[in-house]
Amino acid sequence: MGKQATEMLKGVLEGIVLAMLSVRPAYGYEITAGLRGQGFSEIAEGTIYALLVRIEQRHLVDVEKVPSEKGPPRKVYTLNAQGQEYLDEFWRTWSFLTERLEELRDGGK
Amino acid sequence: MTMWLEKIIGDLSGKKRYLEYKKRIRQLPEGYRQAGGALERYLLNLGPSDNGESLLAMLEDLADLLEQSVAAGTPIRNVVGTDPTEFAESFMQNYGGGSWIRKERDRLGKAIDRAEEEDQQ
Repeated sequence: MGKQATEMLKGVLEGIVLAMLSVRPAYGYEITAGLRGQGFSEIAEGTIYALLVRIEQRHLVDVEKVPSEKGPPRKVYTLNAQGQEYLDEFWRTWSFLTERLEELRDGGK
Repeated sequence: MTMWLEKIIGDLSGKKRYLEYKKRIRQLPEGYRQAGGALERYLLNLGPSDNGESLLAMLEDLADLLEQSVAAGTPIRNVVGTDPTEFAESFMQNYGGGSWIRKERDRLGKAIDRAEEEDQQ
């Protein structure tokens, strides 16, 4: 993943994570692993963790501590109603942005 | 560092939480412990250095992250990424209060807000 892709990804990472959580609840490592599986190889575990702390503080997710076989309990994140609202808004913004960009690209031909 | 730290974390329960955090970091494998120390230094210098509750929450979250990383076998580089300061900054944004740098950023924002109001009158 190039520098430009990394920069662009930063702005939409929150939306991506909320979208992943809308499919099913997950804990931090699962989310990072999922992103890596989709080719976002340079995402740092810590960055995702910081983002999860943030969306928890903004009450976009519900959190449950689940015991794990090894190591400390895992925090499992579930998208709540407020988070779903935020995600809907994210997709509206995304549509607006992509439409404008497509227009620009077509106009440039 | 120790003196101001005592002033901030203040009461007994704060101290207890801080010592508990220190113990958690000490128990990490060597590489993670070193990374923890380096991150702590950065976070305490720039982070919520004037807000005890915020500071303790930040350190405890850092310990959580490192312990989870050890358990999951995530290499240090994958925890902090290619640009560790970027990670530290995004991590720190979650906690209120801060260094003179963060206060100056806040002050600039507020000053421009006031200037805007003046301008609109």
